[in-house]
Amino acid sequence: MEGFLTQQYQPTPIGDRMSNHGSKMAKVIMQPGVDIMAKAGSMVAYKGLIDFNPNPPAMGNLIKSWATGEGVQLMQATGQGELYLADYGADVVVMQLANEALSVNGPNILAFENTLQWGIERVKDVKMAFSGMGMFNVVLRGQGWVALTSRGTPAVLDTREAPTFVDTDALVAYTEGLQITPRRTAKFSSLIPGRGSGEAFQLGFQGQGFVVVQPAEDASSKFSVRG
Amino acid sequence: MATEFSRGQKSPLSNLTPGTDLYVGVKIEGPGTWDISCFGLDEADKLSDDSYFVFFNQPKSPEESIQLLGAQSGDTESFRLTLDKVPDKIRKLSICAASDDATAGQISSGWFRIVVGGEEVMKFTFSGADFSGERAIIIGDVYMKSVWRVAAVGQGFNGGLADLIRSYGGEVADEEPAPAAPPANTGFAPPPGGPAPAPAPAPGFAPPPGGPAPAPQPAPQFGAPPGGPAPAPPPQAPAAPAAAAPTGAPGGTIDLSKAPAQGYGDTPTMYQPTPPGAMNSLAQYKEKPTTGRYTQQSSKMIKVTLGPEVLTRKGSMVAYQGNIEFDHKGSGGLKKMLENKMTGQGLSMMICRGEGEVFLAEDSTDLHIVELNGRTININANNVLCMDATLAVETKRMESAGLPGGGFFHIEVSGQGTIVVMTHGTPMTIPVQGPTSTDVNATVAWSAGMRVSVSSQVRVQRNLYAGQSAETGCLDFMGMGEAFVVVQPYEV
Repeated sequence: MEGFLTQQYQPTPIGDRMSNHGSKMAKVIMQPGVDIMAKAGSMVAYKGLIDFNPNPPAMGNLIKSWATGEGVQLMQATGQGELYLADYGADVVVMQLANEALSVNGPNILAFENTLQWGIERVKDVKMAFSGMGMFNVVLRGQGWVALTSRGTPAVLDTREAPTFVDTDALVAYTEGLQITPRRTAKFSSLIPGRGSGEAFQLGFQGQGFVVVQPAEDASSKFSVRG
Repeated sequence: MATEFSRGQKSPLSNLTPGTDLYVGVKIEGPGTWDISCFGLDEADKLSDDSYFVFFNQPKSPEESIQLLGAQSGDTESFRLTLDKVPDKIRKLSICAASDDATAGQISSGWFRIVVGGEEVMKFTFSGADFSGERAIIIGDVYMKSVWRVAAVGQGFNGGLADLIRSYGGEVADEEPAPAAPPANTGFAPPPGGPAPAPAPAPGFAPPPGGPAPAPQPAPQFGAPPGGPAPAPPPQAPAAPAAAAPTGAPGGTIDLSKAPAQGYGDTPTMYQPTPPGAMNSLAQYKEKPTTGRYTQQSSKMIKVTLGPEVLTRKGSMVAYQGNIEFDHKGSGGLKKMLENKMTGQGLSMMICRGEGEVFLAEDSTDLHIVELNGRTININANNVLCMDATLAVETKRMESAGLPGGGFFHIEVSGQGTIVVMTHGTPMTIPVQGPTSTDVNATVAWSAGMRVSVSSQVRVQRNLYAGQSAETGCLDFMGMGEAFVVVQPYEV
């Protein structure tokens, strides 16, 4: 009992500002001055003096999130100590941006340093069948740490090698600056019920960068009729 | 007439002298002994050839373009560099000094000078005030960038000679191999004259204790202002994807990237900082090299290299590279469709055809590649992710007296090829050596040639409830030899 609970699963040593504890929990080292934006309700434990404020988002972001359905319910964590975050057993991916920009599917955001600029942006080049529809993502820019969630171990595909086509339901994030082209693979025969291939639409990514995909397809729609 | 160089200054050699046969003299005065050496580095700033490490034990390079001359005319050490003879692969000659018993901060005075034809053309003087506790210093570079150039470096280097060699990609005999020497090109500028920041707090890029410090950046960017009190901010990383190359991007200026949160300290052990940059952080998730037609990308994702067609579960494609089409696969006639309707066990498959690589996954289940090699396997259709289109598939029904109107449907797959089985959680394979029973809902697959029957010992009257399938109870297996049954820790 003693070994099992107190030794095997004790906190991992302090490392980077954000790190993994196991594959499904993020550990954040909190420092006064640099706050963390985290998905509301994702805190599982903390040590030290940490305050959580439901974030009053910038008005622009609020309106956008209402308009796009890409609303990311965030809270702001301030203080000093260690903060543990998790999101319903999803895998956690921690990364450090070095003046890079990452476009992330909103529900896949777990936490990020608020030194990063962030906003909801429409995915350029993707025009849906009906005008007014579009795909929106949260774009994180600058220098700092980001923790994303992924249902299952994600894969990072290099778009420099070849154009990479991704099922929009499995898309987690991609680097900014990629050329994005929608691709339809639905055939006429898929109009017959039960005759579709189940793969009707993908996004193609091309250029200097990479795409993160998860091994599961979220049922939640990435598309919104408002916009 | 010597041109006085200050730290960080660089110049084309032709501005100093038309000659290419150089005498390089280095003087270091202070306590301890300093070993002065010359590294011939390749384009990647690496010591790709050991014979271009010129030091007391190896006084010249193979074609004698770099020769060690020894102490003379006031120099502690001197070299002859015959640039015309330097082979094309060597792009940089870096003059370094290292000591085992003194630190760079103790140097009372020193210089780095170039003499051509008996005339001193360049001189860079330094002293211990430029350094702190480093045991190695990079004094000056003669490097090729369209033309030969000279740089006065004067940079301290944490760690001793062995670490310096490792940082140049060299190996040090009789010691354990270097822990992945950090890539060159890092914007590593130590604080000039700063008060002994021993573990240099280059944010996010502090060298691991005992590990090699980052290699110096290529000469054209050496830019520590002389005597400046603060560390020169490392140049910013190039914008996103360019930095995705596995070079360690510089850390930037935010010191909190690895905040040491005092008072909550577990002591940092085994801490290996990751260089910043999304691609560095994500390295462990990168695409795995293809090992055949089916490659396990992770426990939950499979990469299939197309050529021959593959049948996959509808909607299981998460990504692909190449030119690939997806098409509905009919499951064989009206009777089968009816069965599918009745049992919910219909294999709803699509065909992937084309050229390229498809990444398949379903609901983050665990995936297992099974090579059939002509054998036959029975699988619960819910547990099939994909298979070679050449395999023979048959839908089977297991009748049971206890289950009126129903039975347990599964598919029988046989032939030469591969099938990918998905399980919720880590499965267990039970060898069947006697009577073995499994829960119908947890049963994934079993070997052919066993006597299987459905028993309804567990009389849960599930079929009383609308929407419940007729599957209830146990599968009883009787088998010998290599018979097995696979169960998953999850009941569908």
